[in-house]
Amino acid sequence: MSERGATTGSGYRLARAVQRSVFSSAGFAPLLFVILLAINIWLNPARFAPAAWGTLVGLAAPLIGAAVASTPAFLGGRGGIDISVGPLMGFVNAIIVLVFIQMLGVSSPFVIVPAALLVGVAGGVVNAFLATILRIQPIVATLGTYLVLVGATLTILPAPTGTAPQWLSQLAGTWSILPLGCVYLVWWAICRTPYYDQLMAVGSDDRAAYTAGVPVTKVRFLSFVITGLFSGAAGLMLTALIGSADPAVGPTYTLIAISAVALGGVSLAGGRGSVIGAAIGAIDIFLLQSALTYLNVSTFILQISYGAILVLAIVLTALQDRYMEQRAQRAGS
Amino acid sequence: MKNLSTDQRRALGAFLIAIALHMLGTLLIQGYSSAFSMRAMLVLASLLAIASIGQTLVIILGGIDLSIPFVIGFANVVSAQLYGDGMSFWVVCVIVLALALVIGAFNGLVSGGLNIHPLIVTLGVGTIIQGSVLLWTAGFPSGSAPALLSEFVSIGGSAMGLPVPWLVPCFIVVIAVITVLLVRTPYGRRVYALGNNPRAAMLALISPLGMWTLTFAISAFFAAVTGILLLGFTGSAYGEVGQPYLFQTIAAVVIGGTALVGGRGSYLGTVAGALVLTELNTLLIGLGLQPSVVQAALGLVIILLVSLYGRDPHVSTRI
Amino acid sequence: MNAAADKLIVEGLRLRADRQAIDESIGAGEIVGLAGLDGNGQERFLEMLAGLVTPAGGSIGYRDDAGRTHAINSFRRAVLHGVAYLPRDRRASGIFPALSILDNFAMATVTRDCVAGLISYRRRRERYDHYRERLSIVAPHPREPITTLSGGNQQKVLLARALALQPGVLLLNDPTRGVDIATRKILYEVFRELSGEGMALIILSTEIEESLHLCDRVLVFRDFELASRLSGEEMSADRIIATMFGRDS
Repeated sequence: MSERGATTGSGYRLARAVQRSVFSSAGFAPLLFVILLAINIWLNPARFAPAAWGTLVGLAAPLIGAAVASTPAFLGGRGGIDISVGPLMGFVNAIIVLVFIQMLGVSSPFVIVPAALLVGVAGGVVNAFLATILRIQPIVATLGTYLVLVGATLTILPAPTGTAPQWLSQLAGTWSILPLGCVYLVWWAICRTPYYDQLMAVGSDDRAAYTAGVPVTKVRFLSFVITGLFSGAAGLMLTALIGSADPAVGPTYTLIAISAVALGGVSLAGGRGSVIGAAIGAIDIFLLQSALTYLNVSTFILQISYGAILVLAIVLTALQDRYMEQRAQRAGS
Repeated sequence: MKNLSTDQRRALGAFLIAIALHMLGTLLIQGYSSAFSMRAMLVLASLLAIASIGQTLVIILGGIDLSIPFVIGFANVVSAQLYGDGMSFWVVCVIVLALALVIGAFNGLVSGGLNIHPLIVTLGVGTIIQGSVLLWTAGFPSGSAPALLSEFVSIGGSAMGLPVPWLVPCFIVVIAVITVLLVRTPYGRRVYALGNNPRAAMLALISPLGMWTLTFAISAFFAAVTGILLLGFTGSAYGEVGQPYLFQTIAAVVIGGTALVGGRGSYLGTVAGALVLTELNTLLIGLGLQPSVVQAALGLVIILLVSLYGRDPHVSTRI
Repeated sequence: MNAAADKLIVEGLRLRADRQAIDESIGAGEIVGLAGLDGNGQERFLEMLAGLVTPAGGSIGYRDDAGRTHAINSFRRAVLHGVAYLPRDRRASGIFPALSILDNFAMATVTRDCVAGLISYRRRRERYDHYRERLSIVAPHPREPITTLSGGNQQKVLLARALALQPGVLLLNDPTRGVDIATRKILYEVFRELSGEGMALIILSTEIEESLHLCDRVLVFRDFELASRLSGEEMSADRIIATMFGRDS
C-alpha cells in the first residue's frame, strides 16, 4: 500500500488490483497458466495463432463453463457442492437438440437460448430446494439429481443424434467468446450487488452471518440457482462444440470441473475464491490436455499428469496459505 | 424403540425398508425370492458393503473418499495381471493390499496434514492411480482369476453346507469386526470424536493427522479387497469395474443413516443401505425397466430416503 | 512457599516479542487467579502454559512429583507430563455433542479402560462413577448424549475428563461461565479440595469476585505484560480493577 501515492495512473492501479486479486485468490493457477500457455505456443504456434483463437476458445468453453457453474454452490459453504453440473449440461444438450430442434423444429436463438437457460435454472431450483429447504446434504442431494438427470437423458436420448443450427455452431467457432463473455458479465453484475457479499459471508461463517441478519437459506438457495443458470449456459457451449445431442458427454464434466475449481483456488469449504480463478483452473486443465495431446502421449499419461498437477497445485496452495498465515500471526504478535 | 440410539434407529429403519422392498419384489415379480436371486442379491450386497467400509469410516471421521472406485479398479487389474504372470495368489494379495494401504495413507496424510478437502485429494490421487494402471497394462488388462477366488465369491458356491459362497459368512464376520472396531476400541471412539468436534478432539489428545492417515489407509485397503473379490466375481480384469461404486458407496452410507457432516453413524446402517440399494436395483430391473430409468429411479429414492431422516439442522439451531 | 514444591516454573516468558518478560513460579496446592480486561494477554498466558501457543520468548517447565523438570513445548507433551487444560468454550472446543456422557468423560483417557485392546465398559463405568460422585454430576442415563445434560453438568463432565488425566497442574479457562449457582458452589469446593491434595490450579476468571473468593493470589495482566501480582491484603476488587485499567501506580 505504500506506493499508492507514487502512481496515479488508473490503468496501473487496475492492473495491480487484478494481479493482487487473481494471484491471492487463485493460488498457483495463474502461474501454471503462463507456463502452460508458453509451452503450448512453443509446441504448436499454428494452433495458438490469433486466427485460431475462436476455435480454441470454443474447444475450452464447455469446461470453463462447467467450472464457472460449479463455483457459486461451493462459495456458499457448509458442504455446498453441485455434482449435477455435468449431467445438467448433458440434459440441456439433449433437450435443445432433440426436443426443440428435431421434434418442434424450432431453431431460432431467441427460443433456444432462453429455453436452455430456463432448463438450467429449473435444475438449479430443484437442487436448491433439496439442499437448502429440505436441507439434504448438498453432495447427496445433487448425487440424487445427478442420477435422475443421467437416467432421464439416456431415456430420451439412447444414442447420439441430431445437428445443431448454424448460429449455434458459430458460438464454438468465430463467436466462441460471446457465451463466456455473457456468463462473466452476469457474474460481474452479481458481484456488484449486496448478494455477493452475503454469499461470501455465509460461506465463511454461516452462523455469524445468520446472527448478523443475513437470510442464510435464501442466499444458499440462490447460489444453487445461479449454478443451474450457468450450467444451462455451459450446456449451450457444449451443444455448440459437439454440434449434436450426445448423452455420454455431459456427465464427464462434473469431476473435471470440480478439479478445475479447486485448482483455481476456490475453497471447497466456502467463502473464498472467484469465478475467474475457476476459469483459469479450467483453462490450465485444457492447456495441459492440449499440450500432451500434441506431444502425442497416451491418454493414460494425460490422466496421470492431470491428477498429479491437481494434487501438486492444491498442496502448494495449502503450503502457501499456511506460510502466509504464520507470517500474519508473527506480525500480529 | 425407545432404548435405541439415533444411529441404531436409522440402521433399523434402513433394514425395514430393505425388507419392505423385498416383499414388494416377491409380490410383483415371479422368482424374485428364488434361491438363485436371493443368493445373487446377497453376494452383490456383500461386495457393495465391503467396498463401503472405508466410506463409512471416512465419512464418520468427517471426510469423503472418492478414490475408492479407482483403488478397486487398480486392485482388480493389478492382481489379475500379477497372477497371470505366474505369481502366487497370496503374494499378489499382499502386494496389492500393501500398495493400497500406501495410497490410502497418502490420501489421509495430505488432506489431514494440509487441511485440504479430501474430495479433491482423493479425486486427484484416484486419477493418477487409474492413469498409472492403464499405462502399465497399455489399456488392455490381461490375466485371470484363480479358481479358488472365483469359488469364494461365486453365486452358485456353497460354504459349510449352506447354499451361499464363502464370501457371505466371511462378510458376516467382517460386519462384526468392523462394528466392534467402531464401538469398542479406542480407535473407533476417536473416529467419532474427531468427526464430531475436531477442536475438542485435539484437546482430548487425539491426533488428527494420525487418525486421517490410518482411516484413509483402511478405506483403500477394503477398496482393494473389493477389487480382488470382483476379479473372482467377473473372472477377468476390467479397469472401470469400480466406477459404479463411486456413488453407490456414498449412497449406501447415507441411506444407512450416517451423516456426511461426521461424528455419527454405524457400519450396520451401511450394510442395511447396501441391502436397500441392491434390492431396489434388482426390483427395478426385474420390473423390466431400462438401465437408464433404473438409474433415475435410484436417484429419486436416495433423495426420498435421505429427506426422511438424513436432514441437516437449520443454521439457527447451531448458534 | 519452598522452591522444591514448585510445580510450574515460568522463566523469561514473553507474551509478545516486544513485551516485558515474565518470571513466575506456581507451587503445589496453590490456586492462582489470572485477571485482566479481555484480550490483554491473560488468556494467551494460560494457553502458553498449556502448550497450545508457542511463547514469543522464554520457557515453561513442569516439575513432576519425582522432582524432574519437563519443558512444556507442545500441548500433547504438557498433558502427558501432567498439565491438564479445561477450555473456555464448552460447545466449540469441549464437548462431543453426538457422543454419550461416558464417551465424553473417557475420551482423553480411553486407553486406560482397555482390556486386551477392547474398551471394558465396566472399567469405564467405575472410573466415571468415581468422578460422578466426587463432582456430584447429575446424569441419570450416562449412555445418553451429553447434550441431554444442563450446562453445569456438561461442565462437570468436562472437568471429570481433565481430572481423569490425574494432572499435577490444572489450567482452567473461565470454568464457571454459563454455569448455575449451585454448580458453581460445588466446583469451588472441588477446586479447594484439589488444591488441598497438592494440585496447583490456575484459574482465568472474568469475574473478579470469583478470583477473590477462590484464589490465594491473583496475577493481573495489562497489554500483554504481567502488571502486578496481588496477594493477601493487597488482593481487593478495587486494587485489581485499578491495575487492569493501569491506574495502580
